[in-house]
Amino acid sequence: MLALAPWFYPALAGGLGGQMTSVLIICIAALGLNVMVGFTGFLHLGIASFFGLGGLFLAILTVPMNPLEIGFLPAVFVSVGLTAAIGTLLGSPTLRLRGEYLAIVTLGFGEVVRVLFLNLENVTGGTQGLGPIPPPGSGIFVTGIDLGREFVVDSRWFYYLSLIALFVVVLLVRVLEKSALGRAWIAVREEPLAAATIGISATKVRLSAFTIAAAIAGLAGCLSVASIGTTGDPNAFGFNRSVAILCAVIIGGLGSIPGTLVGVTILFGFDIVVIPSVDSWMQRIQGQVFDVSLFTLGSWRLALVGIALIVVMRFRPIGLIPSRRFAAEFQESKQ
Amino acid sequence: MRSNWFCPQNPPPFRLAWSVVVCLTIGLNTCGCQKIESNRVCLVSSLPRTGVSRQVSDEVVRGIRLAIDEVKEKAGRFTLEYRDLDNSAAASGRWTSEGEAANARMAVQDPNVMAYIGTLNSGAARVSMPILNYADLLMVSPANTAVGLTKPGLGLPGEPNVYRPSGKLNYIRVVPADDLQGPLAADWAFERGVRRVFVIDDAGVYGRGVASLFADRCREQGMAVLEHVSIDPQAAEFKSFVGSVMSADPDLIYFGGSARTKGGQLARDLVSAESEAILLVSDGCRTKAFLEAAGAASLEGRCFATSAGLSPEQADCNEKLLFLRYRQKYGTCPSNAAIHGYEAARLVIRAIADVGVKDRRAIVESAFASQVDDGVLGQWGIDANGDTTLQEVSVSVVRGGEFVHEEVMSTAGIGKKNGSR
Amino acid sequence: MDVASFLQQCGIGITSGGFLGLIAVGYTLVYGTVGLIHFAHGDVVMLGGCLSLAILSFLVPVPVDPLTGCLVVVLAAACSGLFCGCLNICIDQFVYRPLRNAPPLSPLVSTIGVSFVLMNVGLIWIGPTDRAFPEIFLETTRSVGGFSIAMADLLVLVIVVPAVLCLYVLLRQTRFGRSLRSIAAITRVTARSGEAGKLVIATFFLSGFLGGVASVAAGVHATTINYQMGHQMGLYALTAAVLGGIGSVPGAIVGGLIVGLIRAISVAFLGPRWAIASVFLVLIIFLAFRPQGIFGKSKTRGGQR
Repeated sequence: MLALAPWFYPALAGGLGGQMTSVLIICIAALGLNVMVGFTGFLHLGIASFFGLGGLFLAILTVPMNPLEIGFLPAVFVSVGLTAAIGTLLGSPTLRLRGEYLAIVTLGFGEVVRVLFLNLENVTGGTQGLGPIPPPGSGIFVTGIDLGREFVVDSRWFYYLSLIALFVVVLLVRVLEKSALGRAWIAVREEPLAAATIGISATKVRLSAFTIAAAIAGLAGCLSVASIGTTGDPNAFGFNRSVAILCAVIIGGLGSIPGTLVGVTILFGFDIVVIPSVDSWMQRIQGQVFDVSLFTLGSWRLALVGIALIVVMRFRPIGLIPSRRFAAEFQESKQ
Repeated sequence: MRSNWFCPQNPPPFRLAWSVVVCLTIGLNTCGCQKIESNRVCLVSSLPRTGVSRQVSDEVVRGIRLAIDEVKEKAGRFTLEYRDLDNSAAASGRWTSEGEAANARMAVQDPNVMAYIGTLNSGAARVSMPILNYADLLMVSPANTAVGLTKPGLGLPGEPNVYRPSGKLNYIRVVPADDLQGPLAADWAFERGVRRVFVIDDAGVYGRGVASLFADRCREQGMAVLEHVSIDPQAAEFKSFVGSVMSADPDLIYFGGSARTKGGQLARDLVSAESEAILLVSDGCRTKAFLEAAGAASLEGRCFATSAGLSPEQADCNEKLLFLRYRQKYGTCPSNAAIHGYEAARLVIRAIADVGVKDRRAIVESAFASQVDDGVLGQWGIDANGDTTLQEVSVSVVRGGEFVHEEVMSTAGIGKKNGSR
Repeated sequence: MDVASFLQQCGIGITSGGFLGLIAVGYTLVYGTVGLIHFAHGDVVMLGGCLSLAILSFLVPVPVDPLTGCLVVVLAAACSGLFCGCLNICIDQFVYRPLRNAPPLSPLVSTIGVSFVLMNVGLIWIGPTDRAFPEIFLETTRSVGGFSIAMADLLVLVIVVPAVLCLYVLLRQTRFGRSLRSIAAITRVTARSGEAGKLVIATFFLSGFLGGVASVAAGVHATTINYQMGHQMGLYALTAAVLGGIGSVPGAIVGGLIVGLIRAISVAFLGPRWAIASVFLVLIIFLAFRPQGIFGKSKTRGGQR
């Protein structure tokens, strides 16, 4: 838990709060992916689509242009439930497949969801997205302050909300890991035949992991969409996002919770927090920063991320903070 | 081992490094214009600064900087500081809602920021408008043309009030909206004798909006709208799609969108499929990027573009003082985008200077009451919705590899037949 | 939609499917030998496209007659192929080889890292806007038996068909080809050196070469390239490889053709926005009934990643 302590400090800085909120939200989604990939060992290339679905359901339920307009918390519960249900629906027929094929199916599902987002405009708003989404607490007045307005205008509110959600998810995953279900996941990953003989159904176990991953990602999506205010750009829920989250989880260390948090903070923190800071700092120094030429930092952004990924994997292939189990496995397989 | 159940590796130096990293990032971010300073005012712009859109946003920024240089960075008793924020992501090269929301929040939470110039894309404006509205921060757009942002009854249900959650207005735009551009384009087409149109858009807020308005007016005029289709702006090429366009045999093909959303590629594919129809594109395509992507030579004389307001080539580049100054500083004549960026910044600077105190609400009201007599765009003011009172749309044609002004269309009100020059 | 337009759409689908198939072969070869999905392959192809753009702009500043045009394009394809092949080898030797014994998902992250780096190189090389391929032929279409065929599409066929034939000959007749096929059928190569190592190098070269050739075809077909095209094309090509049965070369080619056809037909009937969804829906449904793809062999090791 101490590893999380430093996150309390930036709560007070205005601009940073908004950026850290994005990072925290992606941490939540990454924890969901970790449940699937880290614990059960199956590759999942479409986590961002569940992220998007969670956000979409929240938007549909709360946007003033639709008749429903239920409050934030109930909407979150319903969205997470619906996303989990879709996870189960997708998972049941496909989890019989071998690893690579499941990966492609999740990839395909992700792309199909993205295209449906874009094209079913009556429901999803297309590229325009659904919005504006009323912030949590809109219409609630506490000591004369409109809570909804505070959420929109001051990033700290969403920051704390996301932090609380992250704590809850971390606890949940920790509990699951230690429970019978968690042990079943590991058994199915490592010794599928043995697990079958003692009556653990591999498919059911994987399905539970898949559903939980979908639910957690859905929760992250709800928070993300609420903090931005619209579902905006469906391409943000596509393959690139899924892959980025996957990279963060692997870099941090599969199956390890602190590892995932570290991985996301490094990978996404770089893009969301460091780059704009460096850009504004450089702007103050030299004025124009946005030329795409050989000699500006901004134009090498992608390559820097890529090189970081390559270097980390080269020198620490099991991830930065691997779970003990993985570290042990890796040691064994080396010998 | 047991005490380290959370971090199996040796944690203390790692956590220390971790805290250092976090504190550094806080430090980097808080040494911005965060402290309240009585004599400095911050002006912020939020534009897509990477990818294809960069060409256009560069021009807007140049216009803004020119306006600031003109007043020698002083607005009344305040010193102006300008921050050029990027609302795009490097990998995608287009604006993102996260980026836009982050920029809006940053502007709102910085007590020195008194105005927000943005955005380029109407879709991005939808994200930041509610945030800025809650905070009463003046938002001036040099380029948004989607009707629903300011005009009641024309956009989606609930627009524009959903963008004004505080009930008060804070959004101004210096370009005429698409409720002018779309219908006037249709009138222009009708005048040319076009009777069958095929309408294409890029599925975005702006592209879909202007294309729909165009199509509606075409139907009113009695032209046959054969189809109205959205393309996938991520596709690499449109050969298959173009086949179906050709088989409908239109006289004119309309595209609402920009070069970034593959307008250029579509034009190229239409030409290589030997379409004989006139191509009419909306103002998002009236850019160099579009001509490069489409191959300007092949569009000679058959591709037309509408743009809001007067096109810059109308005015002789040597005539207006502003144009001369721009050319002195940047080496070329200013484009439409640069001129609108300049006017937007000037509006803001005047409002700040007139009010004289750091009161966001007062600055908004002062801006809404502006009357501009000496600008490059002619005489204009701001109406009750936040729109400019300018009512002109220009049509340009591709000649010699560039867009060249052809005629001006204007109307005193929507629904009337055009009053072209 | 009448028969002529339908056939024309199929024609477009097959030409695009042709070069998609070549790229898919690249994915399949690499997967078959080292068990890795080489996500950066699409970006390698994109860089090949950048190179061929430079070569073609240099050699064909004005449109020429068909024969010269074809020769120039074949030359560009060969150069681009060599370039991509060498690039692929470098990537393998520097990035993938040290990770042969790593946990299974780590090399995946490296491929994505490489993909980002290559994409950035492409961004710097050709800039963020679409770049147009030069017009190669004076006449853009030619009538053959009542149909008008775009010269660009003919050119694609000129590139793709010989490439596929050479590939076929290579795999069936030469010793290298036979060892490649036998490896793919039995196990995955993890050794670092020796015969197996040479085989891996040759595989990467071949997959890169085919990708480079395909990039010229893609550029001529779409007439523009941009730095992000590697991702979209790579996605389609990977789908094609999986559809055909990953690890099987004929499967990749057939998969490519099918994907190209589905894309063209869905654009014609459903509209351009549904193309990628149709491709994936077909894939998902197909895999539900035949998880190993068209030509893949069903392995009985359950739970194996």
